[in-house]
Amino acid sequence: MTTIGSIARRTGRRFVSSLPALLGVIIFTFILMRVLPGDPAVFFASGPNAGQAEIDDLRRQMGLDKSIPHQLALYLRDIGSGNLGRSLTTGQPVMADIRQRLPASLELTFTALVLALLLAVPLGICAAMRPGSLVDHAVRFACTLGVCVPTFVSGLLLIYTFYYLLGWAPDPTGRLDIFTTPPPRLTGFLLIDSLLARDGDVGRAAASQLILPAATMALFVLAPLARMTRASMLAVLGSDYIRTAEAMGLSRARVIIVYALRNALLPVLTIAGIVFSTMLGANVLVEKVFSWPGVASYALDALLSADYAPVQGFVLLMASIFVVVNLAIDVLYGLADPRIGIE
Amino acid sequence: MRTKTRFRSSLFASFVAAFAVILLSLTVQAQTRVETLRQVTGNSVNTLDPTMPGSTREAFGISMHTYDRLVSFGRKPQGNGFIFDYDKIRGELAESYTVSPDGLKLTFKLKKDAKFHDGSPVTADDVKWSMDRHVTAKSLAASQIATGSLTKPEQFTVIDPLTFEVTLEKPDRFALPNLAVVYAIIINSKLAKSKATAEDPWAQSWLKDNTAGSGAYTIETFKPGEQVVLKRNEDWKGAIDGKPAPFKRIIMQTVPEAATRASLVEKGDADMSIDLSASDVLSLESKAKLKVVSTPQFNAFTMVAFNTKMAPFDNVKVRRAIAAALPYDDMFKAAIFQRGAPLFNGTWSGAPEKSVFPQTMPFKQDLAKAKALLTEAGFPNGFDTTFSFNVGSAPISEPMAALIKEALAKIGIKVEVQKLPDAQISTLVSEKKLPFLVENSIAWLPSTDYFFRVFFNGASRWNYSSWANEEIDALTKKAQFELDPAAYEKQAKRMIALAAEEVPLILLWQPNQDAVMAPSIEGYTYWFHRQVDFRDLSRKP
Repeated sequence: MTTIGSIARRTGRRFVSSLPALLGVIIFTFILMRVLPGDPAVFFASGPNAGQAEIDDLRRQMGLDKSIPHQLALYLRDIGSGNLGRSLTTGQPVMADIRQRLPASLELTFTALVLALLLAVPLGICAAMRPGSLVDHAVRFACTLGVCVPTFVSGLLLIYTFYYLLGWAPDPTGRLDIFTTPPPRLTGFLLIDSLLARDGDVGRAAASQLILPAATMALFVLAPLARMTRASMLAVLGSDYIRTAEAMGLSRARVIIVYALRNALLPVLTIAGIVFSTMLGANVLVEKVFSWPGVASYALDALLSADYAPVQGFVLLMASIFVVVNLAIDVLYGLADPRIGIE
Repeated sequence: MRTKTRFRSSLFASFVAAFAVILLSLTVQAQTRVETLRQVTGNSVNTLDPTMPGSTREAFGISMHTYDRLVSFGRKPQGNGFIFDYDKIRGELAESYTVSPDGLKLTFKLKKDAKFHDGSPVTADDVKWSMDRHVTAKSLAASQIATGSLTKPEQFTVIDPLTFEVTLEKPDRFALPNLAVVYAIIINSKLAKSKATAEDPWAQSWLKDNTAGSGAYTIETFKPGEQVVLKRNEDWKGAIDGKPAPFKRIIMQTVPEAATRASLVEKGDADMSIDLSASDVLSLESKAKLKVVSTPQFNAFTMVAFNTKMAPFDNVKVRRAIAAALPYDDMFKAAIFQRGAPLFNGTWSGAPEKSVFPQTMPFKQDLAKAKALLTEAGFPNGFDTTFSFNVGSAPISEPMAALIKEALAKIGIKVEVQKLPDAQISTLVSEKKLPFLVENSIAWLPSTDYFFRVFFNGASRWNYSSWANEEIDALTKKAQFELDPAAYEKQAKRMIALAAEEVPLILLWQPNQDAVMAPSIEGYTYWFHRQVDFRDLSRKP
């Protein structure tokens, strides 16, 4: 009970101490967007005969006629009341867009991460058990290949093979086949929603749409996870307590899985956290190739048309997720190894 | 024994029933698929109100189906499809219209049975409210509709519930066509007014996400950035023989990756796409499994523009020199695989033979002449300049830029190529800060003087070359109100001759719009707004 209490206390303290960083991110993005060349009012007042009057009107509507500190103050006030502004590219409030799209990105990233871990950890262990062997080299080769091939190439290749040539995968257009009725929206995660609605067909349809993009992403992050598993397994396997365990005559499987792996997983956990947050924001290419309605492609579209509000909202979201994920990892860390505090 | 038989027969019966249900559901599914049209596009619909600043072209397309306008353009066959006919204006919500002999009064008789989606009849009051909105509210509509001298609510009068009248100060040739443009939607005024607020008297924020129209389709689903699903409005009877639109359901889905769109259409999972990459169109055309309707966009053009207010392009001889130095044929091949109508290598000199615009201009590559002109202009050793294009058009503009750089190096002009993001280039263009650039533009109303008013005159962003010529200014003002066709033709030809002489910009070509569709789709029409009008389409049984 006291451990949980102290973890909660520390978590709270950590969270409060990350607030200045979040504020810094907000201000930095806000100023960066305004310093970057490209005027959204001009871009969006692109009617066939729009003149200076239309541009000025739009600038007033968007509040861009005010000074930057004034705009920033208004923006901070809006954030305080949960309003992230309105996107001109989709015509919707940014908050609504993010609420709509974040589950799509999270679902994809989670699946990809689980897939990657399921592949990477066994591969890393195999490589670590026989360093320098053929297996080790094969794993190294596979990882290098995964990292070297850009995601849009592997994505298009998977589409070409499994959709175009073989016809096994459904058409790569978003989270659900267009002719399937989506389950009632409860969490926004289609797999969970269809489970809650007890609709097996929809669940299967959603899962089949998910496989290719998740595999594409998993291939790309295979390397850091597998390499980290291998390195930390190697370090652990050489330590005294493993030798002791082997000397005590414990079975090889027990030594590897119970004693070595548990201790080797700590750095893998850290990397997994970082990989997760990075994947969420950086997988714009996968989202584009698979028409996945996620947050990253949303932010990119907004950035290209100098649409300030969604970009700022996206960066704030990513920063918050980074904070939360790192916090979660630290908590897990503390649970896995009580010697490590999270002060 | 008997129970057993009964059991068996009932088992058999239930099998038959189950089988029948499966068969039936499969046919129903197949039927709905046949009656559904699925279009995939790289862009997305961002609003249901086309007059909202920032509306995408796809949003324009959707509004053609949810809203009706008073009038619409006709269409005429061309190649294996149709093109819109600017010279033939037919009623849409109007059953008929008359123009007074002096051209100052346009009177519209509304269709008696026209209904909004909520079942209420379309009246002249709705038309008046909608037109008042277009000229008053801050939206894209006002500046467009003003090109037809429609600027004040006082110009719109309700004569009786089914008669509406527009009064003009001068007989403007563009008043009637402007009532057929995308923005001139007729809105259900009672519904819209009930959603209006004190700060938003024209219900602009509500109409962004909702429709209040009388068009051929209603919105079933609207997910900005993902998809729009349209459902047929059975009360709309504007198709051939007074019937509703042929397709029951339309799905317009955003698929950002062009290669994915191509495989979707090729596999038959999607029915059509109008924005595939040129190389995919070529390969699909060679496979001959799909129907490809290629239409030169006759109301659009790709051009190279000079900033005529900036040295050295303020010197007409420099502009002429560059016009004589560009490798037109190579650019046409490399940039768009010759898929379009060329606007170079014209054979006329002095005055053009035709009064239409854009038309082929008398520019061709002649490096000796270019060199001589450049020397005459005072730049025997050339100069340095930058050439800009936007990232979005890179597949087309990048090879062009490389060829231009190479050709101009031969006459001593050093070109630095600058690739800019869309928002940045539009800012720089409207601030008139770019010396030399390539752009692609379009006029909804393809009339020679309209092109000159928008692209060759005034301070707006669309005057890419910042060209100011008093004669053009006078001619465009006059031609707008010219009712005598012979006099108009003379004025139009003079404008074209001036553009050829002064070279404020160099017309290159009109790119094709390549619509790729399932072979069963019929009736495809190229429209001024460059979107698919689904009301034209049907599926051959």
